[in-house]
Amino acid sequence: MGIETDNQEIEKSMREVARNLLKEKEVDVIIGYSKGTFPLSTSPIMIKKEEEVDKLIWNNLCYVNLAKYLVPKIPQLLDPEGGDLKIGIVSKGCVGRALVHLAVEKQLNLENIKMIGIPCNGVVNRRRIEKDIGEKEVFEISASGNDLIVKGKDFEQKFPFDEYINELCKVCKVKSPPSVSEACIGECQEVPSIEDDFGDLSDYESKTTEEKWQEITDTLSVCTRCYACREACPMCYCNLCFVDQNKPIWFGKTTDMSDIVIFHLVRAMHMAGRCVACGACSSVCPMGIDLNKITRKLEKIVKERYDFTSGIDTEKLPPMMDFELEEAEEFMLEED
Amino acid sequence: MNETVVKAEQEKKVDEEWEPKIIAFLCNWCSYAGADLAGVSRIQYPPSIRVVRVPCSGRVNPYFIIRSLTDGWDGVLVSGCHPGDCHYISGNLVARRRFSILNELLEFFGIESDRVNFMWASAAEGERFAVLIRKVTEKVRKLGPNTQFQKKW
Amino acid sequence: MEEKLLMKDQIAKLYDELAKDYSFFAPIKEKGNIVFKKASNPEEIELDYFNSKVPPKEVLFPKMEVLFEYSLDEKDVEIKERTDLDEKRLIFGIRPCDAHSFVLLENFFDFGEFKDEIFLKKRENTTLIGMGCNSPKSTCFCTSLEGHPFQRDDLDVMLVDLGDKYLVESVTEKGKELVQKLSWLTEATKADVEKAQDLSIQAEESFQTHLDFSNVAKTLDPNFDHPIWEEISEICIGCGTCSFLCPTCTCFDVIDETDEYNNRGRRIRIWDTCQSCQYTLHTSGHNPRNSCIERCRNRILHKFSYYPTNYNLIGCVGCGRCVQLCPVNNDLRTIIEKINKIEDKKEEKISA
Repeated sequence: MGIETDNQEIEKSMREVARNLLKEKEVDVIIGYSKGTFPLSTSPIMIKKEEEVDKLIWNNLCYVNLAKYLVPKIPQLLDPEGGDLKIGIVSKGCVGRALVHLAVEKQLNLENIKMIGIPCNGVVNRRRIEKDIGEKEVFEISASGNDLIVKGKDFEQKFPFDEYINELCKVCKVKSPPSVSEACIGECQEVPSIEDDFGDLSDYESKTTEEKWQEITDTLSVCTRCYACREACPMCYCNLCFVDQNKPIWFGKTTDMSDIVIFHLVRAMHMAGRCVACGACSSVCPMGIDLNKITRKLEKIVKERYDFTSGIDTEKLPPMMDFELEEAEEFMLEED
Repeated sequence: MNETVVKAEQEKKVDEEWEPKIIAFLCNWCSYAGADLAGVSRIQYPPSIRVVRVPCSGRVNPYFIIRSLTDGWDGVLVSGCHPGDCHYISGNLVARRRFSILNELLEFFGIESDRVNFMWASAAEGERFAVLIRKVTEKVRKLGPNTQFQKKW
Repeated sequence: MEEKLLMKDQIAKLYDELAKDYSFFAPIKEKGNIVFKKASNPEEIELDYFNSKVPPKEVLFPKMEVLFEYSLDEKDVEIKERTDLDEKRLIFGIRPCDAHSFVLLENFFDFGEFKDEIFLKKRENTTLIGMGCNSPKSTCFCTSLEGHPFQRDDLDVMLVDLGDKYLVESVTEKGKELVQKLSWLTEATKADVEKAQDLSIQAEESFQTHLDFSNVAKTLDPNFDHPIWEEISEICIGCGTCSFLCPTCTCFDVIDETDEYNNRGRRIRIWDTCQSCQYTLHTSGHNPRNSCIERCRNRILHKFSYYPTNYNLIGCVGCGRCVQLCPVNNDLRTIIEKINKIEDKKEEKISA
């Protein structure tokens, strides 16, 4: 089969659905991905006319989580009187999960949204490819069979697709949006629950405390506190982020090691039960920091303690919005 | 004397004199009253905790805990009513969820999670309160002074 | 011949000699990213690089900088000013575009009666050894902004990569002094100089991006409320990557940090971005730039309208970092082309 043919089929059916939606006036605007201005990039696009549907693409470089544009609603997605436009969104599994979770948090109304479901086959880890290629410029990236072929001036390199997709995509269990409401059209799937043994974390979790601290500080040491991760995350929609608060100033905004670790620790805590593992935070980081381990740990915590997975159920409350009388408290201090 | 030996002696002196400083957030209705009862009953426990009275353990924002660690406190303790007995019905249940997540994340990041402790102690449990304080003090003493997470400049 | 040669295997010798008097900043690979950092040994220096991810403005205007420290005792406040400003620095391998950005940085920090002592002192004590760009990328456009991959104007010493050796050319008096100190450098031949000139022409011809900036400032001024800004800022997520990694962006936030337990504090400055939603938030709660539309517009106007109008300089050096690193590929080159088209539409209206 091959990645190339898969992508072409996904693109064809996605455009079909998009065309129908605009023709039947079921949506006013469609948010999707379009070709970028240089090989390892794609660009989100908002189209309003049927003729523009052929600008929508699908390839394995579509890493932005499009749910970001809905909360808070940008002026371009409101009609002149300030009401909501009807929006169609090209949805990979994680984008669909983000939309469902935002609906659970009452940040948007699924009735105004149509999720154009696509069976995502993974997003390429472009930072890793850039690091492997080094300083040379990429002229073309294509797929052949199950390999990615990257061509540039005086070089051509092959990358096995399954190895060079994002770490989160490798263990993804929700490749197309969960069909939980009438909002889901196109390719959606029934997701009653997720089975996951989180085996990819066992290596890291068996390390000692000092080793873990070493590895975490090593990974985060290049952070420039640009907050691109926060801006790319659809769940980060607070009007005033905790780092920007100044009554009181909780944590420093500097690039000291303890300040950097605290930012990521507290942001992870705010993501517990809300993160949909889309990997946008890692994909947009200009320094190439990979936050996949932290994301996986968050999913593991809420799955094992509260049997919860974000974005697959419109009824179940997320764990941090709920409480129970009886539950595991092995971490509490007790008399011997 | 050899310079390195003198330095080691000085460091040892600091170690021997060092006592853990633990900030304790006690909920007003149960744990604070329990601590009070321990005091009135003349039950001895190590003077390692500095108490901050909060209306409910649910008032404790995880920011307080993390900020205490960066400010240099050797340990943090949060104590509330037993589940089901909260003066505000469900404050301690909400707190328990927050603490479970914070605990797991601290461990995951390689921050010594033994410094951060949570417990339930009711107003009638003076003896239990003292026992648990002794336990926490020993836990934190074993870890030594907090230098890992402190904002240094 | 005035020009000299530095063999690539002599880099260690160069480092050993210069590191005695200067803090030697060079391109260093850190977690797969090239950044300009102080080299602690010559092996760290990365010679096979295109350009650093974080621009070299970081050397003189770091992400976090202490302005002063203070400590309190019974009655007095003691202020500790910076004492390291006389340290001599050397930035090795800086590209002509980034070197030009230093001109813009100086313009910002040395403005009439507002002089930033910290930056200016550091700049005074910094020597720039630049490296010509043999292979500009498709996203580079310094030539569209009166720049050139082999521009010498803003450097003290210019190096050209001839393969196994560098051609060394001193540009300023500071540079001449430095090169004279390195008396062991061999003389360059006429062939070497000609090869460097060929490389310069080749590099210039390889540029794929050609933008016309001649009318941008004039077009921007009357079109503040043009609907094109809605289109340009549609996909922007306001992450600020473009401004953080721009060699000419200078906005910073000032924060006072206190250590109450030890009766001391410090005032620091950290990088800030006009793309942040709190950038223009007034204490009254009013925010004149409340959405991405206004913030995106502000950045473009600042660089291509206000700067040319006020200082006769274009606030961009064409390094292409914003193009490569923007997470949503909101390409500055496309934006400039759209702005240039505004003028055309105006003409159409007149002719119709």
